Amino acid sequence: MESAVSISQLVKTFVLKKREGIRWTSTDVKAVDGITLEIEKGQSVAFIGPNGAGKSTTIKMLTGILHPTSGTATVLGCLPWKERTKLARRIGVVFGQRSQLWYHLPPGDTFELLSKIYEIKKDVFKSRRDMLIERFQLSTFLDTPVRKLSLGQRMRAEVACSLLHGPEVIFLDEPTIGLDVIARQELRDLIREWNQENGVTVFLTSHDAGDIQHVAKRVVVINHGRVVLDDRVSRVRRQYLREKVLSVKYADMPEPFSLSGVKTLKESGHAFKFEVDTLVVPIEKVMTEIMRIGSVVDITIEDPPLEEVIAHIYSTPSAAVTDDEADDDIDNDESVS
Amino acid sequence: MSKYFYIAITSIRSKLAYLGEIGSKTIFLFVVLYIFLCLWKVTYAETNQTSLGGLSLKQMLWYLVVTESIIMSLPPIATLVDQDVRTGSLAMQLVRPLSYPLNMLANTTGERVLSFSINFAVGSIIALIFVGPLDFQIQSIAMFLLLLPLSFALDFSIYFLIGLAAFWLEDTTGLTLIYSRMTMILGGMLIPLELFPDGWQQVLRILPFSAIVYAPARTFVTGDVPLFLSLLAQQFAAILVFSFAIRVVYAIALKRVFSHGG
Repeated sequence: MESAVSISQLVKTFVLKKREGIRWTSTDVKAVDGITLEIEKGQSVAFIGPNGAGKSTTIKMLTGILHPTSGTATVLGCLPWKERTKLARRIGVVFGQRSQLWYHLPPGDTFELLSKIYEIKKDVFKSRRDMLIERFQLSTFLDTPVRKLSLGQRMRAEVACSLLHGPEVIFLDEPTIGLDVIARQELRDLIREWNQENGVTVFLTSHDAGDIQHVAKRVVVINHGRVVLDDRVSRVRRQYLREKVLSVKYADMPEPFSLSGVKTLKESGHAFKFEVDTLVVPIEKVMTEIMRIGSVVDITIEDPPLEEVIAHIYSTPSAAVTDDEADDDIDNDESVS
Repeated sequence: MSKYFYIAITSIRSKLAYLGEIGSKTIFLFVVLYIFLCLWKVTYAETNQTSLGGLSLKQMLWYLVVTESIIMSLPPIATLVDQDVRTGSLAMQLVRPLSYPLNMLANTTGERVLSFSINFAVGSIIALIFVGPLDFQIQSIAMFLLLLPLSFALDFSIYFLIGLAAFWLEDTTGLTLIYSRMTMILGGMLIPLELFPDGWQQVLRILPFSAIVYAPARTFVTGDVPLFLSLLAQQFAAILVFSFAIRVVYAIALKRVFSHGG
């Protein structure tokens, strides 16, 4: 499989100058400290980490804004900081907190302007614009000045604009920041669809676990400028929080229930909430036992929230998984939980 | 190049949302022109002259219409660049197949052309009412139309450089203020260069300020060909120097992008 993004031992050191009295002292700060990563074409990768972990610095190097201190990276075969303009025609970038739309003009006008900037052929532009309008449901506000749009509408237009020139890789830096639940979900669906149906490689940074869960199949966690984890999203959940929550409702009062690795969290009438440590006891065994002790009316099994997984990873930097190990799994992963 | 032209057109359309602001500026223009008309009337009467610095009272008011229209049409170029640098918006612009300086030039020039046109139209009506029409010559208008865009380009390049200073300075408003006042005073906004002392005139004709304000205005009212040619040369030389400065400073500044905007 061809590589969309290839990063090798990428390092970026900033010099921080500090004034002490009349003297200036400088300290070297390693924002990115030897990142190595391969992203194949068509993958959707969530690039996450706490504030100051080096996410933005990495994206800026991959989009050609920053020169690395050492190491190298190629995006679609281009050296970003040497071939920035050439690469700009093949990538799309959305910064959630910065707008590329003209504030006083309708999104339709920005589409026209971008078609000139990217020198898109008229017929290609028209067909792609119409498709984006339909897919992103922009027709109701296409002629409304951007200043009058809701944040959700504006972000849909922002992402659509970044896809107008048909990029092969799209970098999304916190695209759902500030959006309400519905708008966030709509945008996630659109990005996922675009990745799956059009084969666009998605490189997403976010602090929202839902974004990672719904959009990406692979998650790369960085902290202190280093990759601390690189794996499938579904596997990360399984590996880092093995607890599952079972909510069971019985027709009558069941027999007393005791199994090592199972904790009763809540009991109300004939309804119970259990926490199961799947390392201690397999979930199948718990299910069999639950069925045995009484007549089950309803049952749900919940995964732990991804926020907890991420917090867990941030707090344990030794939890590194090698890149090779992660890459082996990615092609086979069909489901995103 | 067509993309930058389209950016300029889009900028004009966007600026049309601020018609109220443009309208309020023209009220100020009316007040300024009326005050200066009164002052120059007194000056001409007191000195008992029909021509000062080679200009009649009528030409003097038309001269002021052009200079005031140029100065009042100025978009906040340095502030925009300063904000782009400080907020990190510059990074957003670097990920497009665009030159940031040319994008900013197209953007602000589009806006300026619209503001200038409105100011000039209103100023002309005021001049027509108070002093009547100027003896227009096609060649002076042609020369003026050549010098005006160069004047905008030169003014842009200096403000752009000031804006880039945000990479090194905490605040660029001081520089902007100094430069804008120098353009007004030394560029001949209120008084044509010919009325400055001889020694001053020599210096002012070399400095870039007069190439921005005095050059198009003086050519518009007198249509003097030799003067036009020397002003054109002055503009070209200044644009060359400042374009080169932008090239050098911008290349150095790009290496400092990291410290601005996270």
